Amino acid sequence: MNTIVYILLAAGLVFFGGTTLAAFYWAAKTGQFRNLEDGSKSIFDDDEPVGTATDAFADKQADRPLRRGAIAFKS
Amino acid sequence: MSATSAHPSTVTPEIEKAQRALIDESTRLPVVLFYASAVFWLLVGTVFALLASFKMNAPTFLDQWGWLTFGRVRPAHLNAVAYGWAAPAGIGTALWLMARLCRTPLRHSKLLIGAAIFWNVGVLLGILGILAGDGRSIEWLEFPNYASFMLFMAFGLIAVWGVIMFRFRQPGHVYVSQWYLLAALLWFPWLYSTANILLNFEPIQGGAQGAVNWWYGHNALGLWFTPIGLAAAYYLIPKVLGRPIHSYYLSILGFWSLALFYSWNGMHHLIGGPFPAWLVSASVVASVMMFIPVITTAINHHMTVRGNFHALKWSPTLRFTVFGAMCYTLASVQGSLMAIPTLNVVTHFTHYTVGHAHLGLYAFFTMIMFGAMYYILPRVVGWEWPSARLIRWHFWLVAIGIGMMVIVLTLGGILQGLALLDPNITFMASLDYTKPWLFLRSVSGVLLTAGHIVFAVSFTLLLLKAGALRSEPTLFGTDQGRRPEPLNV
Repeated sequence: MNTIVYILLAAGLVFFGGTTLAAFYWAAKTGQFRNLEDGSKSIFDDDEPVGTATDAFADKQADRPLRRGAIAFKS
Repeated sequence: MSATSAHPSTVTPEIEKAQRALIDESTRLPVVLFYASAVFWLLVGTVFALLASFKMNAPTFLDQWGWLTFGRVRPAHLNAVAYGWAAPAGIGTALWLMARLCRTPLRHSKLLIGAAIFWNVGVLLGILGILAGDGRSIEWLEFPNYASFMLFMAFGLIAVWGVIMFRFRQPGHVYVSQWYLLAALLWFPWLYSTANILLNFEPIQGGAQGAVNWWYGHNALGLWFTPIGLAAAYYLIPKVLGRPIHSYYLSILGFWSLALFYSWNGMHHLIGGPFPAWLVSASVVASVMMFIPVITTAINHHMTVRGNFHALKWSPTLRFTVFGAMCYTLASVQGSLMAIPTLNVVTHFTHYTVGHAHLGLYAFFTMIMFGAMYYILPRVVGWEWPSARLIRWHFWLVAIGIGMMVIVLTLGGILQGLALLDPNITFMASLDYTKPWLFLRSVSGVLLTAGHIVFAVSFTLLLLKAGALRSEPTLFGTDQGRRPEPLNV
């Protein structure tokens, strides 16, 4: 019983260590580490573009403009 | 603005808006299930926390019943808030983030509903088991076998779901939050099962159990709560402000350095214990190396918000999330310093450590989860939060409560630690030093409890659709007659 458990644990170690290395290799290979500027903008789209705030208290207006790049609330 | 989009220009904003609404809606049932059970267990865990805290001031309080003695109430608190509240809140957030970042509607929600059922049954059995005296004296793994097996099944189902979602994602860049989420979803079931096997099912012998215990205990924080909290912060802060992360390069560096160093950290809990010196030393070195992921994350979060800190005044999401992100830096720097043996000698076995744990799991993780819930739930259920006033009360009660708790436990812990090291002070006298601080800790606990009740009321009202109907998926409560004016630069 003990031996089986230890073999399983060792296999887990190799598997999860291996997948982490494989993920790193895959990321480098598929260009995930290139064009980082574009990557940071991948959470925005034309409907919610850079410069659009998406959260605010209902009863409190944002009294000062957002700086640097932020233009308007989504209306 | 189409130049900033990762999408082909043929997709119009209207279609994107509809797609996003569809994706949000597809996550509704699983996200609400996990969030609602999280809020329920938060209240349960808070009651146990108050009881345990009161017992520090009045040791005989409620001790006529065995199941309400400190030795059971305290692990019941830890497990109710860690596995009942924090983990499901993180899972709910992870599900929604995965769907949004993969840009695909949530698939196979039955897997997740099954996981939610396993999860809640597991936590219920675990808490009842601990109260009945079935708990194990292994910190973070007190749940008896029948409960931990249920949790493992739930973790496993969610991990499988995560891989499927990733497989069917829209092509394009894998955002940093996705890396964090995948890491947490894949590593944690392995971590949890390995630790349970080595400690409960097929226990290894002697001192090595301590090493496995802290390998697990620290990695629960480092490879589960931290990645999910950071994934939420890395999505919400730029998304709320409409401003990309300050340095995306640093965020990627932060993720991979966390993956490299964090799993070594656990042995710093064993400084001075009967363990091979190299084991502890390697862990101390890795703990100090954690400065790299922590500082990169701190720079990123701070610099992304910089110049727009006034936005904390109007965005509930941002207020909670930025509070949490700042406390991540604090907790991590503190953690690295506590791993240095000369400082550890003072703080070990004192309330200082308890303060550090609350700084990490509450001021960092829980606050970010509150922020995430404020952003996610209206988008998922289609209804707004009922009252901005309730949100404000929630924030100030828990922010002051946790701030006070960390400060008094830190100061009390240092005094306690110095007294413990002083051969001229008896052990009983060192405990006397902690009394006023433990009283103040109970006061802070009352504040936190009040905050949690306010949040639970707000949450219930939202699910009962007491808020305004959400007419557009992007703004927080636009239909209350006070639509913010467009802003100019």
